[in-house]
Amino acid sequence: MIPVSVITGFLGSGKTTLLRSVLRDPAYAGSAVIVNEWGDIGLDHELLETSEENLLGLANGCLCCTTRGDLARTLIDLAARRRSGAVTYHRVLIETSGLADPAPILHTLLVDPTIAESHRVEAVVTVVDALLGAETIARHPEATQQAMLADRLLLSKTDLAPDTSSLEAQLATLNPGAPILRSVQGAIPPDVLFASAARPEALRHWLDATATPSARHSAGVETISILREDPLPGVVLPLFLEALAEHAGEKLLRMKGIIRVAEAPEKPAVLHGVRHVLHPIEWLEDWPSADRRSRLVLIGQGIPQWWPARLLEALEEEARG
Amino acid sequence: MNPPALRALIADSLTLWGVAGRVDIADVGVRITAGDQVLHVAPALPEESPMRWWLISEARRRPAASMLGLLRSLRYALNATSAEPARARVAAPL
Repeated sequence: MIPVSVITGFLGSGKTTLLRSVLRDPAYAGSAVIVNEWGDIGLDHELLETSEENLLGLANGCLCCTTRGDLARTLIDLAARRRSGAVTYHRVLIETSGLADPAPILHTLLVDPTIAESHRVEAVVTVVDALLGAETIARHPEATQQAMLADRLLLSKTDLAPDTSSLEAQLATLNPGAPILRSVQGAIPPDVLFASAARPEALRHWLDATATPSARHSAGVETISILREDPLPGVVLPLFLEALAEHAGEKLLRMKGIIRVAEAPEKPAVLHGVRHVLHPIEWLEDWPSADRRSRLVLIGQGIPQWWPARLLEALEEEARG
Repeated sequence: MNPPALRALIADSLTLWGVAGRVDIADVGVRITAGDQVLHVAPALPEESPMRWWLISEARRRPAASMLGLLRSLRYALNATSAEPARARVAAPL
């Protein structure tokens, strides 16, 4: 499986600077890079120092809407060229346009069977301008979406804004599970950014951040957290996910969860989903921390705050007979 | 599932589907009033197992074996389904 990571962030936040820095790391120099630019004349790809055959530009449209099909075709073509030996790369980095909503992009990566059979989404990194980020998020819903869907948030230009506490609080409200990292001129070890968001060490931060059940509201988007002490009967999980996808799929931006299942309480089940697309349930060998409560975080628009918890309780009651 | 919990879940479901309606606790189960429609949701009797719920309208009684099935039937009865039902799709393993 070829790992794919998405670098997103609002216009001017520092995505290309970050990508340039990442590509200088020997371990990432051989990445295939897909750059999506907004506008008739693409500039960003000119700024990247990587081999020509490994760099693809998708101009004249936004990756999340008009050029989604181009993204799928590009990835499929790249994989075919890789199999034939025409190009060599071990991972794909996608830089979205500054106005892109990452959700449809993730949807394309996860749903297209030809892509999904050979690619694995590892992380969504959202670059936030430390100086202008707060105002940008307040004014532009695209920036809010980008922050909410991140696995990791990277504050750029922190040399220009020494005090980022207010912005960090704003970001923590939007996306309590994403670690907030800092960099100047894209200087940060790439492995910190792109390690799989499903690995235990990545889950640990998310678990700590979502330990309190709550609903947070911002720009019409809510974060709903569910915390449960008692283990859930295993049969409830597929029923809950089915109902979630069927009734809230259009309103669900992202879902993550770690569940203590009654039949195997020592091996937590990890849930990941984007809209109505759900990853198969993943079973960890052990809990990533001493806290063994089930936690579920849903980010969506227009989902009643208590509906997921009430549904879960109803299904659990049925399962227990 | 006690009637207040059932009422709360169905009321939230109506909100989720964008249906303007009212849910009241009835003698058995709950009564849903939406526009000119009146529907009842009642728990099935133990001897009706594996059915757990009944969705009752003037025209018919629909059984449901789980809350998942009940919500699906209710949404359909209220004409609140989207053009293309968003069933769960399974992506590649992480």
